[in-house]
Amino acid sequence: MNPHDDDPIDALLRAQFEGPVRDEGFSERVMQALPPRRRRVDWPVRAGIAAAVVTCWASLQSAPVLHEGWSAWASGRLTASAMALLLAIAGMSLLALWWSVAEGGEA
Amino acid sequence: MADGDAEARIDRALVARARVGDDPRAFEQLLRRHQGMVRAQLRRLLRGDIAAADDLAQETFLLAWRKLDQFRGEARFSTWLYRIAYACFLQARRKRSWADDDGGDEAAEHVPAAMPAVDLQMDVERAMQRLSAAEQTVLLHCVQLGLSHDETSYVLAMPLGTVKSHATRGKAKLNAMLAAWHPRAGEEKIP
Repeated sequence: MNPHDDDPIDALLRAQFEGPVRDEGFSERVMQALPPRRRRVDWPVRAGIAAAVVTCWASLQSAPVLHEGWSAWASGRLTASAMALLLAIAGMSLLALWWSVAEGGEA
Repeated sequence: MADGDAEARIDRALVARARVGDDPRAFEQLLRRHQGMVRAQLRRLLRGDIAAADDLAQETFLLAWRKLDQFRGEARFSTWLYRIAYACFLQARRKRSWADDDGGDEAAEHVPAAMPAVDLQMDVERAMQRLSAAEQTVLLHCVQLGLSHDETSYVLAMPLGTVKSHATRGKAKLNAMLAAWHPRAGEEKIP
């Protein structure tokens, strides 16, 4: 509230305000006019994610950097390819974390 | 304030039920809880045009139903509704044209005859009509609907400083215009 509760002008304005209007069938009319809520369709998102994963995998499968990075990582060597792979994974994890936090905050 | 917090919690729970559970009954409760003040806000904005105000109120609640997913709880649900209602009002005003300056006497006629101190009420109403549209709108939200300056700024999409200056200037003008009532204003016991 505003710090003007004792202001005579505030008191006059509040007294002059008629206050909430009585329902008198208004809510019923609105409820009758309410359209069915469109459910959020999530299959395009799932299909998009699946298509992106498959495309990404298909394009990277032939790239030597992925194989080199993976084998270097598996053998414990920190080569440039392994670093690139680690950075990509870390980046995607951070992105997923940020998205989850943002979605959680909205709920 | 505690009551306000409890009310806001109830609203948030009802919104969650309406949104996640897709429960129209939860929305109906929200509608019944808030229709009175939203309609009062619109009647004031439309200078007592009851039919147009109710049409806009209906549009407001239909929009709220459709946009319920966009309510993030950053503001109170009632404040969010006032914002939608005000946006509907602005849109309608652009389409049609309500008189901006000459509604004074007509609006004064809507003062209920049974209320005490009718003369004072009518003078307040006339004085309000002599304020600028922005000052009237800010005072309606800040004082009559009981919103904070921050909430008014959110509802009207107006910078906080502008809201404060309109409120201060509007009250100063009203004070000057109603100066004759000051000695008696304290005596009047208006419910």
